[in-house]
Amino acid sequence: MNNSEQGYGARLKEEVIDPGFCSVCGACVGFCPYIKTFGERVGVIHDCKVCEGVCYRVCPRSPTQYHVLRQEVFGASEHDPVFGAYKAICFARAGSEHLRSRGQYGGVVTALVTFALKQGIIDGALMTGGNFTKAIPTLVSSVSDALQCAGSKYTSSPTLGLFQEAVKEGYQKIGVVGRPCQITACRKIQKASEISGGKISLVIGLFCMGSLLPEFYSFLKENHLDRYERMDIPKDILFQGAGGDVMIPFEDVRRFIRLSCLSCYDPLSELADVSVGSTEHDPGWNTLIVRTAKGMDMVEKARFTGDIETKAYPPDLLNVLREAVFNRKKRVLECPESMYLDVPPREKDYFLTAGGDA
Amino acid sequence: MKDPLNLAITGVGGQGNILVSEILAKAASAVGLKVTVGESYGMSQRGGSVSSHIRISRKSLYGPIIPKGCADIIVAFEPVEAARAALELGSPRVKIIVNPRPVYPVDVQMGKYNYPEIGALLKIFKEISAQALIIESTDLALQAGDPVVQNIVMVGALAGSGYLPIANEIFKKVITEVVPQKALRMNLNAYEMGFAKTNGLVNEAKSGVCPITVP
Amino acid sequence: MHKMGWQDVIEGRPGDRVLLNGNEAIARGALEAGVRYASSYPGSPSSEIVQTLSKVPDSELYAEWSVNEIVSLEGATAASFAGLRAICVMKADGLNVALDFLTSMNLGGCKGGLVVTVADDPQGHSSVKEYDSRYLAKAAMVPVLEPSTVEEARAMAIAAFNFSEQIKGPVILRSVTRISHSRGLVELGKSVREDKTASLPAGDRFLTKTIFHMKARDRLIKAAGIFEDCGFNYSEGPDKADTAVFCSGTSLLYAREAIETLGLNDEIKLVKVGTTFPLPEKFILSHLRGLKNAIFAEEVRSFIEEGIVLLYARNNLGKICFYGKLSGDVAGVRGPACGEMNVDIMIKALAKVYGIHYEAPGYTPEKTAELSALVPPREYAMCPGCPHRASFWAVKTAIAVDGRNSIVAGDIGCYCLGAWDTGFNLFDTLHCMGAGPGIASGLSKLGRFGLKRPTVTIVGDSTFYHAVIPGLINGQYSGSDYLCVVLDNSVTAMTGHQPHPGSGISVYGRPVNAIKIEDIVRGLGIPCKIVDPYDNFLAAETICAMVREPGIKVLIFRRECALVAARKQRRKRRVYVDQSLCRGDACGCGRFCVSVWGCPGNIWDHKTGKANIDEAVCAGCGVCASLCPAGAIVVEEVE
Ligand SMILES: Cc1cc2nc3c(=O)[nH]c(=O)nc-3n(C[C@H](O)[C@H](O)[C@H](O)COP(=O)(O)OP(=O)(O)OC[C@H]3O[C@@H](n4cnc5c(N)ncnc54)[C@H](O)[C@@H]3O)c2cc1C
Repeated sequence: MNNSEQGYGARLKEEVIDPGFCSVCGACVGFCPYIKTFGERVGVIHDCKVCEGVCYRVCPRSPTQYHVLRQEVFGASEHDPVFGAYKAICFARAGSEHLRSRGQYGGVVTALVTFALKQGIIDGALMTGGNFTKAIPTLVSSVSDALQCAGSKYTSSPTLGLFQEAVKEGYQKIGVVGRPCQITACRKIQKASEISGGKISLVIGLFCMGSLLPEFYSFLKENHLDRYERMDIPKDILFQGAGGDVMIPFEDVRRFIRLSCLSCYDPLSELADVSVGSTEHDPGWNTLIVRTAKGMDMVEKARFTGDIETKAYPPDLLNVLREAVFNRKKRVLECPESMYLDVPPREKDYFLTAGGDA
Repeated sequence: MKDPLNLAITGVGGQGNILVSEILAKAASAVGLKVTVGESYGMSQRGGSVSSHIRISRKSLYGPIIPKGCADIIVAFEPVEAARAALELGSPRVKIIVNPRPVYPVDVQMGKYNYPEIGALLKIFKEISAQALIIESTDLALQAGDPVVQNIVMVGALAGSGYLPIANEIFKKVITEVVPQKALRMNLNAYEMGFAKTNGLVNEAKSGVCPITVP
Repeated sequence: MHKMGWQDVIEGRPGDRVLLNGNEAIARGALEAGVRYASSYPGSPSSEIVQTLSKVPDSELYAEWSVNEIVSLEGATAASFAGLRAICVMKADGLNVALDFLTSMNLGGCKGGLVVTVADDPQGHSSVKEYDSRYLAKAAMVPVLEPSTVEEARAMAIAAFNFSEQIKGPVILRSVTRISHSRGLVELGKSVREDKTASLPAGDRFLTKTIFHMKARDRLIKAAGIFEDCGFNYSEGPDKADTAVFCSGTSLLYAREAIETLGLNDEIKLVKVGTTFPLPEKFILSHLRGLKNAIFAEEVRSFIEEGIVLLYARNNLGKICFYGKLSGDVAGVRGPACGEMNVDIMIKALAKVYGIHYEAPGYTPEKTAELSALVPPREYAMCPGCPHRASFWAVKTAIAVDGRNSIVAGDIGCYCLGAWDTGFNLFDTLHCMGAGPGIASGLSKLGRFGLKRPTVTIVGDSTFYHAVIPGLINGQYSGSDYLCVVLDNSVTAMTGHQPHPGSGISVYGRPVNAIKIEDIVRGLGIPCKIVDPYDNFLAAETICAMVREPGIKVLIFRRECALVAARKQRRKRRVYVDQSLCRGDACGCGRFCVSVWGCPGNIWDHKTGKANIDEAVCAGCGVCASLCPAGAIVVEEVE
C-alpha cells in the first residue's frame, strides 16, 4: 500500500484509522489543520501530502520497531522480554492520605506529577481529567490541576492532542501521563524536532489492557450507570457511588474494547520513565516499575521527601503479573492484525516457541 | 463610427462591471445611438469572470452577444480577463484598455494554475491589438479616494481615448445620474483622472498600428 | 440627481425613452397593464421583476416574495379569480414546482389577466440546469409568448394580460437570461387599465374537472386564432425567398446579424415567431409555401422546429429541407440543443446551407494557443467571509472524524458550490430544491440492505421554507435517520438577498414576525441545535455528536450572509498575518489558508514565502485564524 500518489495523511487514514487500529492517543492531532478529534475519534480531513508525514511518523500504530525505540531510550540496559527494561519493580503509594483517597489506587501517578511540578522537573503536564463518563484532555501546570485529573477513565482520551497547545503556550519541560500507546507516541514525538518534540521531558506510563470505544458512554447512559462516582475494573466492572455499589460482568463491555488495544503488544508502557498499574491485590497500592535513570532519580527523591512510599513486591504476585503479560504478548504476536509491530525474530521466538520460560 | 461598435467590458465579480455598462449605455443613448447591453451576472458576486457586451449602432438594434472576434474595444479591469476576452472577441483590430493589477483566481491561489507574468501579458496585448492602453486605474482610484472606483477611472480613460463618439460632458452628466450623491465627487475625480491619462494621446498615436503605453 | 434603476420603471412618464433590462421592461409592461398582484419565488434570472414591482405603494399593487412557486401561483391566480390582473414570476425550474396547480387551474380557467412569467437560463449562467420551459407550457396547455428584445418584452407583457382575459386562462411569458439581463432602450407607454376592484360574486366558481380538458383545448384554439394577427409574428427581408429562418426570442437578433454578416440579406427571409405556442399556423404556412430550405433559430431545444415540421407533415408543401437542432445543423460548442444561441452559431448554420466559407476575425492559431496557455481559469468561489465555507469545513471535519464516510446530499442555493472545489467537493448528490432531505431519508432506510454510510443533508434557509419541511415531516414520520444541516444566512442570498419568512422583513422592507426554523423543526418533534459556523470547532464537534444520535435531527448553522453583513456595518475586525509566526512552506500545513481553505481574503506572498491577508477583500470573519496551525493569523477588534 505504498502508493506514492498518497500523502501520509491518507496512509494514516487507510492503514490506521479506517481499519480500527487508531487508539486515539492524540499524537497526530494539533500540529496541522487536517487532523482533528472529537468525541474520541480521530479523522484525517484532507490529505495534505506536504509535511513528510509527521502525523504518520509519531503514530504508535504506524510501523513501529520497539527494539529500536528501546535502544534509544534505554541504551544498552538489560531488557526483560516480558516487563521491558527496568531498574526496580515495587509496590508504591502516595505519601499523602488525601491524594490516596483521590487516586484510582495508591495515587502514585498523581503524587509523582505533583512532585515533578513542585521540583521543577516539569513545568506542565498533559493529563486526563473529567471522569469515567467523559474524559477530558487537560493541560496542567499546578498541583491542584493535577489533582483534578486523578482517577482512571477507561475510554480513549486523545490527550496528546494538547501537546502543541502546550508548546504554543511556552511550556519547555512537558510531562505526559498516558496509556502505553501514548507513551510509544511520546518517544516518537521526542524525535520530531519540527514539532518541538524535545519539549517532552517526562513520561509516566499506565498499565493498560485496553481502552473502550466512545459507544461505551452511550452504554453507561442507557444503563443509568453514569450516576455513579467511580468506576474500576478489578475483574468485572465495579461502579461505586454514595447510593451503593454495583458490579456488572466484564462480558457486557467486551464489545467496547478497541481493536487497536486487542493488538497492543505493550500492556506495561515499556518505554516510559516509570510505569504505574494496579497490584491486582490491594487497591490502596500501585505497582510501580522504574525504568530510566531519570525515573529512578525522581522516584528516589520523591521517596526521600515522602511524596511516595514504597514496599517490596511479593514474589508470587510478580509471577502472576509476569504470566499475564507473557500471555498477552504471545497472543498479540500470534494474531496477524499486529502488522504495525516489527519485533526481532529472537523476541518473537521467545513468546511463540514452547511458551518461553514463564 | 464603425457600425455596430462592439465594446466588451470585462473583469471580476465585484469590480463594478454592471455600473460601467450602465454608464456607457446611457451615454450612448443620450446621443441618440441605439444600444443593447448583454450581461451575465448570475454568480458575479462569487468571484467569477464577469463581462458585459455593449453594442452601439446608428441604424439598428443588435443582439446582446458580440460575435467571435468582433469586439472593437475591450475595457478590462483585470489583465487575465483582458486576455480571456481577447481570445474570444479580439482581433488585430481591437483596442484594449486594461488595468494591469491582477486579481488572482482561486485556482491560482490554491496552486493549481500559474498566473502569467504581467510583463509578458502586456507585451502580448500590444502584439494582438491595434492599440493597448495600460491604465493603472486601481492606483488612480486610490488617489481619488477608494480603490473601488477604478471602474470609473476606466470609464474616464475610455472617454478620453476618443474611441467613442460621445462627448466628455455627456459622460459626466450620466455619472452624476447613476452614482449616489455622497460619492459623486470622488467618482467625478476618478473619471477625470482616467480621462486625463488618455486624452490627446490616442490622436497622436492614430497613425497606424502603434501600441502605446500610458505610464 | 441620483436615480435608482427601478425609478425609471415606476416613475417614468409615457413617451420617455429609458434604458431598462428585460425584467424591468416586463415590470413596466405589467404596470401599464394595470397589474394589482405580483408574486414570485426569487430565482435568477427572473428576480428583478417583483423586486421592481415591490417599490409600488401596496395600495396600488400587492407584491409578495412567496415561499415557493406553487403557492405563489395560487395566490396570483386568486387575484385573477377576483377579476384583477396578476403576474407570477419564476425561473424555469420553478415552473416544475408550480406545474401541478397550473395544469389543474388551466382546465377551469381564470378571469382577470394572469401572466406567468418564466425566465429560462440557457447555458445555466446561474442555474444548475438549462431548461426549456416551453415544453411544460405545452403539457399544461398554456399559451406562450416569447419576446425578442427588451422593448418587445414590455409590449408582450401588456398583450399577455389582454390575451389571458380574451381566452380566460393563464398565459406564459417566456424570457431568457439574454432578455432578462440585457438592457435596451424602452419607450414607456401609458397605463391602459386603471381598474382595481376585486370582486368574487357568489356563483363564480373555479373548479377542476376532467371534462374541462375540452375547455383548455378550446382555449388553445382561440389563442391560435388571436395570435394569427397579433403583431408579434412578422417577416423581414425578401417576400419571395428559397430560404427562411424561423426564429423566436433573441435568436431573431442573432439570425439577423448572421444574415447581414454573410451578405445574404437578399436571399433569406427572416420569419419571427413571437407566439410560440400554439403556433400561428396560417402565418407560418404562408411562409413555408414555396420554400426550399427552412432553418430554425430558438433558445435551448427544438420547440418551434418540431411544431413547424409537424405542420409541414400535415400539409402538402413539396420538398423542403429543414435545418435546426433536430438535424444537428444549428449547433453551438455543446452541440445542438445544449447551451445558448449566438450569432456565431447562426453564421455557421447559414454558411453550411449556402456552402459559404466564413472565417471569423481573430488571431492565428499560434497566437491563440500562446495566449490561451497564459490564461488560468477563474472558477466561482464563495465570497470572502462566506459562512458557508466555514459550515462546509465543519461538515467535512466532522465526517472525517466520525469515520463512517457519511454521504452528503446537497441542495440548491449559493451553497451548490459545496459540490465543487470551492466547497471542498463535499456533496455526493445535488439536484433540485428540497431534494437533499428526501434523498437522505431514502438512503437512511437502506441499512437493512447493507448500506452502512450514514447521511447528512445540507440545505439553505430559503430552501428550508420552500421545499424542506415536507421532507422533514416525511422523514420524521417514516423513521428516517439523518442529520439535516440548515445553512441559515437570513436571506435568499443566491438571487440577490430577497427576504424570506425567517428574515423578519417583508417584501416592502418592513419588519414582520420571523418564522423561526427552529420553531418549525421542534414543532415536528425533531431535535434541533443552533451553532455559529464561525465557531468552527464547536460546529464540527456538534455535528460529530449529532450524527451519532438516532433518528432525524436538525442542526442550524446561523450566521448572516457576509455580503449583507458587510453592507450593514463598517467592519469591526481586522485580520492579519503575524509574519513572525507564519512558518511559510516550512509549516506542515501546505499553505492551508490559500490552497485548501480558499477564501479570497487569504493570499500568499510569493516574495516573503508566507501567508498574508488581502485586507481590501477580507470580511473579518476570522475563521482562518481559528484554523491556522501556527496561530499566525491574528484577529484584532477595531472601532
Ligand atoms: C484505559 C485504562 C486501562 C487500564 N488498564 C489497566 C490494567 O489492565 N491493569 C492495571 O494494572 N492498570 C490499568 N490501568 C491503570 C490504572 O487504572 C491506574 O490508572 C494506575 O494504576 C495508576 O493509578 P493511580 O492510583 O496512581 O492513579 P491516579 O493517581 O488516580 O492517576 C491516574 C492518572 O491516569 C490518567 N488517566 C486517566 N484516564 C486516562 C486515560 N483514559 N488515558 C490516559 N491517561 C489517563 C490521569 O491523567 C491520571 O493522572 C488502566 C488505566 C487506563 C486509563
